[in-house]
Parts: sequence; structure tokens; C-alpha cells
Amino acid sequence: MILPEAGHGRFSVERGHSTMTKGMRKYFKKKIFWFVITLIAAVILNFILPRLMPGDPVNAIVGKNISPNATQEQIQEQIAFYKHQFGLDKDLFGQFWDFIKNVFNGTFGVSYSQYPRTVADIIGGGIWWTIALQLPAILVGWLLGNLLGALAAYKRSFYDKALMPVSLFFSAIPAFGAAVILLVVFAVNLKWAPVNGAYTTGMIPSFSWNFISSVIAHYQLPFWSIVIISIGGQAVGMRSMSIYELNADYVKYARFLGIKDKKIVRYVFRNAMLPQVTGLAMSIGAMVGGALVAETIFSYPGLGMSMYNAITTSDYPVISATTLIITIMVLLASFLLDIIYAFIDPRVKAAQFD
Amino acid sequence: MKKLLSLVLALALVLSMVAIAGAEAAQDLPRGETIYFGGQQWGPINGWNPISPNMNNAMANAANARGSRTVMFETLYMYNMLDGKLYPLLADGDIVWNDDLTEATIAIKAAAKWSDGTPVTADDVAATWEVAQKTQNSVYTGNAPYIESITAEDGKVVIKSKLTEDGKPVNPLMIKDFVSGTYIVQKAWAEKLAADNGDDAAKMLADPAADVPYSGPYGPYFANDQMVAFIRNDNYWGQDASMWGKLPVPKYVGHPIYADNDAGLVMFKDGQIDVNQNFVANIQKLWEDEGLPIATYMDQAPYGVCATMPTAFFNMEVPVLQVPEIRKAIAMAVDYDQIIENAMTNQSPTFAQVPRSVMNPTDGEQALYDHDAVKDLQWVGKDVEGAKKLLDEAGIVDTDGDGYREYNGEKITLNSCCPNGWTDWQAAMEIVAAAGQAIGLDITTNYPEWSIYQTVFTKGSQDEYDIFMYSPPGATPSAPWARVRALLSSEFIGVENNWSGNWGHYKNDRADEIIAAIPLTTDEAELKKLYTEATKIYLEEVPSFSLMYRPDVFHAVNESVWTGFPEKDDGNNIPPMDCTDGYGIAALYNIEPVK
Amino acid sequence: MKNTLRNVFHSPRFLVGFIIFMVMVLTVLIYPWFVRRDPLVSLGKGFLEPGTYVSVYDANNTGTYRVELPEAAEKRLEATLPTEDRQTMIDYLKAMGVDVSGLDTSNEKMEDLLAAWNANYDEADAKKNKYEGFATQAKRNALRRIDNKIKGSNNDVAMSVVRGEGDDATVTTVEGSDYVKVNEVANSVTLPLGTDNFGRDTLTELVKATGVSLIIGLIAGTIATLLGLLVGLLAGYLGGIVDDILMFIANIFTVIPGFVLLILIYYSVGQEARGVTTCAIVIGVTSWVWTARSVRSQVISLRNRDHVNLSKLSGHSLFRIVTTDILPYIASYVVMAFILQVSSGILAEAQLSLLGLGPKTTDVPTLGLMMNWAKLFGAYTSSNAWWAYFPVILVIALTSFSLNLMNTGLDQVFNPTLRD
Repeated sequence: MILPEAGHGRFSVERGHSTMTKGMRKYFKKKIFWFVITLIAAVILNFILPRLMPGDPVNAIVGKNISPNATQEQIQEQIAFYKHQFGLDKDLFGQFWDFIKNVFNGTFGVSYSQYPRTVADIIGGGIWWTIALQLPAILVGWLLGNLLGALAAYKRSFYDKALMPVSLFFSAIPAFGAAVILLVVFAVNLKWAPVNGAYTTGMIPSFSWNFISSVIAHYQLPFWSIVIISIGGQAVGMRSMSIYELNADYVKYARFLGIKDKKIVRYVFRNAMLPQVTGLAMSIGAMVGGALVAETIFSYPGLGMSMYNAITTSDYPVISATTLIITIMVLLASFLLDIIYAFIDPRVKAAQFD
Repeated sequence: MKKLLSLVLALALVLSMVAIAGAEAAQDLPRGETIYFGGQQWGPINGWNPISPNMNNAMANAANARGSRTVMFETLYMYNMLDGKLYPLLADGDIVWNDDLTEATIAIKAAAKWSDGTPVTADDVAATWEVAQKTQNSVYTGNAPYIESITAEDGKVVIKSKLTEDGKPVNPLMIKDFVSGTYIVQKAWAEKLAADNGDDAAKMLADPAADVPYSGPYGPYFANDQMVAFIRNDNYWGQDASMWGKLPVPKYVGHPIYADNDAGLVMFKDGQIDVNQNFVANIQKLWEDEGLPIATYMDQAPYGVCATMPTAFFNMEVPVLQVPEIRKAIAMAVDYDQIIENAMTNQSPTFAQVPRSVMNPTDGEQALYDHDAVKDLQWVGKDVEGAKKLLDEAGIVDTDGDGYREYNGEKITLNSCCPNGWTDWQAAMEIVAAAGQAIGLDITTNYPEWSIYQTVFTKGSQDEYDIFMYSPPGATPSAPWARVRALLSSEFIGVENNWSGNWGHYKNDRADEIIAAIPLTTDEAELKKLYTEATKIYLEEVPSFSLMYRPDVFHAVNESVWTGFPEKDDGNNIPPMDCTDGYGIAALYNIEPVK
Repeated sequence: MKNTLRNVFHSPRFLVGFIIFMVMVLTVLIYPWFVRRDPLVSLGKGFLEPGTYVSVYDANNTGTYRVELPEAAEKRLEATLPTEDRQTMIDYLKAMGVDVSGLDTSNEKMEDLLAAWNANYDEADAKKNKYEGFATQAKRNALRRIDNKIKGSNNDVAMSVVRGEGDDATVTTVEGSDYVKVNEVANSVTLPLGTDNFGRDTLTELVKATGVSLIIGLIAGTIATLLGLLVGLLAGYLGGIVDDILMFIANIFTVIPGFVLLILIYYSVGQEARGVTTCAIVIGVTSWVWTARSVRSQVISLRNRDHVNLSKLSGHSLFRIVTTDILPYIASYVVMAFILQVSSGILAEAQLSLLGLGPKTTDVPTLGLMMNWAKLFGAYTSSNAWWAYFPVILVIALTSFSLNLMNTGLDQVFNPTLRD
């Protein structure tokens, strides 16, 4: 980009350079400080909040396992046994310490409702399916949406006039609405797609083509139910940003200078993408908890379902662990974003030091 | 852009496959040789250990006096709720009691073998009891109050009952529950389990025991978070003439794992599940309106065999509810026909067809009490005028004109509760509340989450719920005594974490006497008198009242792949217990593929 | 201001969105005047399909007219024994080995078909022999139902209505050409969207639910916008440690998944208070972060403008600077944010209720609760009752769409560069 102040800029740039470095360091230190504080607060909250929910998980598991003829002493023995297994016989600090220890030894503790399965086992089973479903869906939705939005902004013709309301409408459809409609229309009535699950019942996972094609077939409906909605949202946002940028002074100036549109467009869309990247990062950060609705309706074996079951059965370890993962991912995403922004968007740094 | 897209998609696929390719050499299940079950297994399994209650392996490990699932592990006897009899499985012949019912002797079938080829002997049964004692699992805690010892003598099993002070057996009926509801494990395996886990009870119960020897017709084949599968053991001892005489027809048994009832129903309608254990509202619409090949035990109401009664309990610690007229008035005013139509969508007989009592609607139990003796105590539902009259005559009237009656000067306000999300029970509670409102009592509904409900209603003192729902035991060998006990016995008052019964904390000394006397009575006429008296007390005092009848397990089949499932009056006497529970497993030997 | 308003209402996008939105609001307000029925009264037992339902009892007591429809007889035959059933009968006879060459499903051959059927069909025989294609229990039951239909059908049979009992009874004959005018029948009801699982009229319930959801959206949106505005203003203008702390709190709200907070608040508030207002407040309190962040970034770019610096130098109080120098410049932005918050509030309530985390009541329907009941009672799994959920989804989408459209329109007005 051609800066009009090039001549003056030398000294200020030099001075500014050293200011910027010290400023950058201060900026980063501040960011890291708040990141750590937020992390600690989040961990503590993630531990405490589920335990504030009423409901006694020990009574539930004893009720499931005890025979109706057991005596009072036997019942109390069982209760004591499970309390000990769950670590609930310690005080709150002891439980918190257990929680931290379990995070570091990788098991995240033992689930209450699916005792003796470890939480890591439960999460590990579901998380890959959730990521496999969400990540491509988010990325594809983001890419396609931004593409459409940018095109609409650039062309500004009838195409744009029609596209905008349509994508707005699609983004307004609630998630479960899209899922239910896709399920009823394509799976139940037209029978073009399978009704639920990750692959055909009775198949054993292997690297055979049979299995892979079954996975792909089962993948379609949940995938598209997420993509359709996110395309709409992204297109609208990108369009607004692109239009804004396309009308900026530097674009007009560059055009007058005779620079080819192709070259200008690259800069324009790079600038327009900045806020969209924020959105993308936050979506990825929150994706672990996001697909709950799609997973429930299509019975896709992801993390959302385990989390929902854990909530209804007061399964603290699973809830704490899942929310911890979500928390950390979102925190990391926003932290990395702040850092990246510091490098690519000089306005951010400038705003910090008025 | 396109390259990036395809790269991302490929990456996602690879990720997902890497995660699930803990691939074994197992082959895909051939549809025509597999029978799929639904509604039993929630979530992936933890293991195959028969003595542990935490394996979450519903198809292999579901021991229950009303009919254990003998797909992989077997019990001594199988219970058939249609005629109330015990059919021998591992046992040879009936139980032989001694004269004063303190000892039961059971022979073991000569042909019975474990999957590793060794024979099943009485020593295995004794070892089962020993390992239960060592680990204090539910087999032990449930039966230790009644069983003194189980030993092997001369190759036969001898079960000695615990004795009361005057030498009488505490409860011989529970021994019948034991032989129908306990898996027998191999002695050698039990010893190895103890040795491998250093005799630590918690570790032994947590051991997944993937290579446990089993005596049933099916063994482990494959398990992940989408499915559990079993493969038939073609050397199964049960093909001997002394047992079934042939092998069960399907080669594989599978159970897909899905998120909730809705998902299961969708798969059932699609034909991916053959036998479904789930309440389906208006199930007759599936074959009448949608033309699906779905059938139940009967193709008219009540569609199945009901074995239990969801019951509304009155909290006897609440002063208002200690007045018998108020209890009876509420029970009289409820519109039961509407409950059965709305909540059970007619999958239950009406109270006109099967008058209320402490018995379930099966023919076996209905014959155990004298219907005529209690006819005058019966009430029809929706009797708002009769209920109002009863209350007026008892002096409970509306003194301040606000439309609600007062008791001791205070407006009668009660809550009626059941767990949230149990839609058929919620519908019933709404109707109870409406009945209360109609007769001038302010009854409102309350639906706490199950996790809270289960904590509150099992407390030693009922301090939150006034009218609340739960189910007493269904059809077991020790029923109807077990049900009478759960409804009327005062032994549960004050017990914390009470899952056993009498949650309303009702006390009646005569009822306690009856409950103590029934297990020791063998004379049929005497038994009938005792049960009739219990029914009388129940109908006069109304400490709780049945809202509807309900099956213990729901049984519906989809005949796209298999046919020949149990039907009413088909002469096979096989109970509709999802083809796996108790004597219901005989169905697996009778079904045939659809041509 | 007047100029802005004029621009706003000339913007086509805003206008369209506004019209859709107002149509919905007006329907919600006016519909109860036309249909006085209580939306919560139960009209039936379970799902009823959309259609008109006429009381047979009252129809018999209404004056008849003589109408002769040309296809009446054919339609009667078709209704008693539909073509598919006739085909099933032919297939079964064929499987039995009976000669079916002369039979088909037409009305002319009906008598022959019935004769062949009555001669050959026997229930016990079907069970014993298990003919090919009819071996399953379900198929045999279907055959039995057809048989019952035939036995019980009274086509072209004389029909009479008996009024009263015993000696006072009067008998009137019903002719095939007797028709009643539907409007004259005392009791009939038209249900354009059928009934839901409780037997309530779906259309009336939907209108009421839309109203309630709009109110929830309004409350949640207002709370969220006010909170966001407050936090954003303070954080953006004051900067420094206040900014850091407020952003820290905002981050906490972001990273803790919303539903955990929701469930907690619900459980602590208890059963009775878990009504519609509580839900709205809770949604508002958990969704202010986005507004706060946007307001904050706007305020940050504003606080170095000349007029603000001038006010600062003039020694105006914080309150005055914020209200007179900053607020008017972000007002347009706040209005847009408000509209978006309302829209997302409605969506959030719908999502939560679907999962069972919404208002806990069967007394007041909201859009999300209607979806929840549809899911719980198997509207799209066991019943195929499309009318119980599809209109709800449409209404939610339209509401959100119209609000977003209004927002886009406003955007165009306030950011002239976006105008086309």
C-alpha cells in the first residue's frame, strides 16, 4: 500500500519502531496475564458450578444397583462405597485437588452415571465424531459463505439483490428446524439418506470401501444441516464487510492509479476477512459443544449427546471435563486471535495506547 | 479453494476413521442372520463381567427375578409370567423342598457345559455365592437376609434358608427369586478373578472380564460406541435333547446404540431393529395407518401383557392425607379411562376389565384372591359426585367460599409429582390434579428432574412431595407377595435411600402380620384368604392407588427379516419378554427368516 | 431525526422486514378476537389431522337437502374397500392357489372378488399354511382386518336413525341422496393445522405461542442490550483497569457454556418460578457479551474524536460526556444491536425449550415448547404429524428473518456506502 506520508515517516517510523516493540511486549504481557487469570477462574468455575446443581448421583447409582431386599446397613455400605469411589467423601478442596490431578493424569476422573468408565473414555469416544462433523461443516460453511458474500458485494447486481434475502432466510432457520426437516424429507419420506447413526447398523469399522461409503452416506444430512445455516450467516456478514471495504478511499485511489482490479480485490478481501476470522476462530473454539441438536436428532455419536446425558444425570466429572475442554479451546482461540491481530492489524495496537 | 476444500474433507474423514478403526478381525453382521434388539442398551458397554452391576451390558448382564436375560449367562430357572411357573434351565427338574421349607435342593443338568468345554456343576453355584459374598454385589446384598448358605452336596445344590428365632425360614419365596434372578459363574473363573485383582472387591467388580467363560448360547463378538454384537456358540450345550433340542435360529445378536427413544423408534420403523423394548404411543397406528410390518403380542388393545401398576402414593406424613376420606375421595374422582387413553394410549386393560387390587392383571395373579369379597369396596373412576359426597359427609367443606375445602381451618393444598420427561406419567399426574380441582382440593402438578426426584422420594422422611408416583414390583416368582410388601409393609419407614417400597410411609399392623405370614403358607385356600384380606385393607385405606396397568417390558417386533414371534393363543406359552428374558428366550428357537 | 425516519421507511429491505413483522404482531393481537377459543382447551385426544370435523349427532338433526352427485356410488365403493385392500385380497388368493384370472380391482368385478374371498379366506387356515408373502403376523392381521371390514360393511344397505327409546322411538330413513349443509350443522370445527398431542388447536396455540415468544425476545433483548450498552460504554470510555476487569467478566461469560449457567439458575430458582419471565431474564443475562464488545469497540474509536476531547477539556462530567457526545453516535448501532438481540433471544428460547431447558409449563405455549412437545410426543417419529412442528419452524424462521431484514435495512440507512 502506498502511504502518503512516506517522506515524513522515516523518523517517526524509526522512533515508532522501538516504541512499537516495547509497546508490543507490554501488550503481550497484558494479554498473557489476563489469559492466565481467566483460565484459572474458568477452571475453578467449571469445577464448582456443576456441583451446585441439586441431585445426588450416589443415590442414583445405588438405586440402580441395589436389590429391593437389601437391608439398611447394606444400603449404607453401598453408599459409602460409591462415595469413596467418586471421591465425594472428601471436602471440597480435596475434591478440587482430585479434579486437577485427574486432568493431568489424562483420565479426567471416573464418570458417575457410567461408572466405572473413565471420563476420558467417554469424551474420547465422542470427541472425534464431533470434530469430524463440526470442523469440516464450519470450514465449508465459512468458505462458501464468505465466497458468496464477497461475490455478491463485488458484483452488486441482481445476483446480489436475490442472494441477500435468501441467505438471510436460511440463516434464520433454527438449527433443529433444519435438522428435523432434512430428516423427515430426505431420510424418512424420500429415503435418499439413512435415518441415523454414523454408519450402517451391524458394520464393523475397518478401512474397507464398504464401510467408508457408509460413513460418507451417514455423514451427509448432519453435515448439510449445519452448513446450510452457517452459509447464510457468513454470506451476509462478508457482504457487509466487503462493501464497506470496496468503498474505502484507498480502493478508489488505487483504481484511479490504474491498478488492476484483481490486485486490489486481494487487499480488499484480506481486510474484509479480519472480522470473519474472529468469527471463525470463535466457532471453532465452541464447536465441541455446538452440535448438540444435530447430534441428538440424527443420533450421531458425538460429544454433545454425552454432555446432555451427563447434565440430566448429575454426572459432575463429565460435565466439568467437557466444559473445561470447551473453555480451554475457546480461551486459546481468542488468545491466539488477539496475538495474531496484533501482528496483522496495526489499528489494534494503536487503540491500546491512547 | 477447491483443493483446500477436498483436503479438509479428506482430513476429517481420515480423522474419524482413525478414531474408530480399533478394528478387529470381525466381519460385518449379515442382516439375514442377525436379530437386532432395541430399547435395552443405553451407551457403550463397560465389559462382560457377570457379577458386576456396572458393566452396562444390557444384552449379556441383566439378571432380574422377573426373568433374567440368558443370552450369554444363564440362571438355574427361567420364570414365565404367563403361568407363574419356573422352568428349569441349568437346573434339572423342580426345586425339592424339605418339609419345613428350610432347605431347597436343586440338581444340575448333566448336559450343561461352559463355553470352554468344562461341565457346569453344583460347585459353580456354590462359588457364585462365595464370590458374591466376597464382593458384596447386589446378588449378595439382595439375598443375604434370606439365604444362610449355598453348598454343593453329592453334586446337587443345597440352599439353606436363614431362620427366625423360632426356627422358621425367613422367606422361602425369595429363594425362588434367587434361582430365577442369579447368573451362575464358573468356579475356576471366579477364583482367577479374585487372584488377578488381589481380592479387592472394587477391582473385581470393575474388571471387564472380556474372556469370561459363559454357558449361554451366545458369546461376545464385537463392541464399540455404536453397537454390541454377540455370535452364537455352535457348541452350546442347550442343543442337547434334555434342553431345547436345537440351536437358536439367529447366528448373531446385535443391539445398536443410539441417542434416545425417538432415534430407536425411527430405526425400528425402518426395519433396522427387530425387537423393540420401548413404549410407543398409539403403536397400532404403525400397522393400521402406515402399513408397516410391525406387530405386538395382541393386535388389539391392550396389545401386550401388563405386569405392573404405576401407582400414586400418598405421603402419610402430611396431616391432611392422614384422613382416609380425603385419600379415597381423590382416588374416586380421578378419570382412569382418560389416563389409560392418554397416558397409555390403550395399552393397558381398564379398571372395568380388571378391577383394582394388589394383583397385576395376569391370569395367574388374578386367581389368587376372591373378587366377590371386595366388590363393594371397588370404585369406578371419574366419580366426582360420589367423592364430593364423601368429603361433605366427613365434614370437610369449603368454609370461606374460595372454592376450596379446608381442613382444620386451612385450605387443602397438595402437589402431585413425577419425574420430568416421563410423558405418560406426567399426563396421569395432570389428570389427578384436575380431579382434585374438581372436588374442591387445590392440587397442582410438579415435575422435578429425575436426578432430583430420585434423591427426594427415597429419603427416610417424605418432606417434599404429597402425591407422587412410582411402580411397585411387577411379575416375579415372589409376586404378588413382593408387591403387597412394597405397598403396605412398615419395615421401610425411616430407611434412608429407600428404593424398596412403601414410600408413603403407611403403617398398618395387620398388614405387617399378613406380609410375614404369606411366605410360610402353602395351603392355597389359606393363601387366598390372606391375599383377599390384604386387598381389602388396600382398598379401604387407600394408602396409594393404581393409576393404570403397564407391562414390565414392552414388546414389539418388526417382521421384515424374522417372523414367528410369540402371539397370544399361539399355543407356545412363550411370554412376550422381548425374546430374551426369562422363559421368553424360547422365542429365539421358534422364529424363522421371512422368505 | 425525521429525515432518518423517512430514509428508514424508504429502504426496501427494512420495509419488507417491517411488514412481515407487523403482520405477525397484528395476527397475534387480532386473531383472539375472531377465534375466542382458549388456546389451551383440549379438543381431542391426541393428534388430529388438519381438516373439518362435523358432529354426526348434530348432522342427523339438521334438515337435509336432496343432492345427486354423479360419482356417488363409485366413491362409496372405494371408501369401503380401497384399491390397495382389493389388491391385497387378489394377491392373497393367488398365493393360496386360487385362480384369479378373472378378477381385478375394478368396481365391476367387486362382487366376484367378494365371492371368491368369502369362499376361500379362513383365518385359521392362513395361520396354519403360511402362504408365501403372507407368513408374518403383521400380514395375517392385515388380512383379518380386511375380512372384518367386509363383514361389517353396510354398503347400499338401508340405513335408518332411531331417535328416543322404547315406545316413543321415532325412526327416520336415511337416503343416499340426503345431504346436509355444513354451516347449518350445530357443531363443527375447522382445524387448519389440526391438533397437537394434547388435543389443542395448533393454529390458535401457534398464534398465542408467537405472542409469548415475541415477548420473551423483547424482554431478553432489552436486558441484553441495556447490559451490553452499559458495560460497553464503561469499558470503552474509561479504559484501563475498568476495561480489563469488565472484559475479563465478559470472557468468563463467553467461555462458560451458557446452558450450564442456565441449568444452575433454573435449579436454584426452583420449580414454580421457572416460568416465562425467568427464562427471558436468564437469556438476557447470558447473551449481553456480544453487544458489549461491539459497543466497546465503537466507543474506543469514538473517544479520541475532537468533540469528545473538547468536552473533556471543558470539564464536563463523565455522565454528560457519555450521554451527549458518545451515545448519539452509537445510537443507530445500538438500535440494530437491539433488533439482533431480540431475534437471537427468540431463537435461544426455542433451542433451550427443545432440549427441555426452557420454561417449565404446560399453561403457556411458546414456540420452543411447541417444538419440545412435538419431539417428546413423537410428532416426527411415531406419528408423522407434520402440522405439529413444521409451521412452528416456519414461524420461527420468519420472525428471525423479518427482524434480520429490518436490521439490514437499517444498516443501509446508517451506512450509506451499503446502499445499492
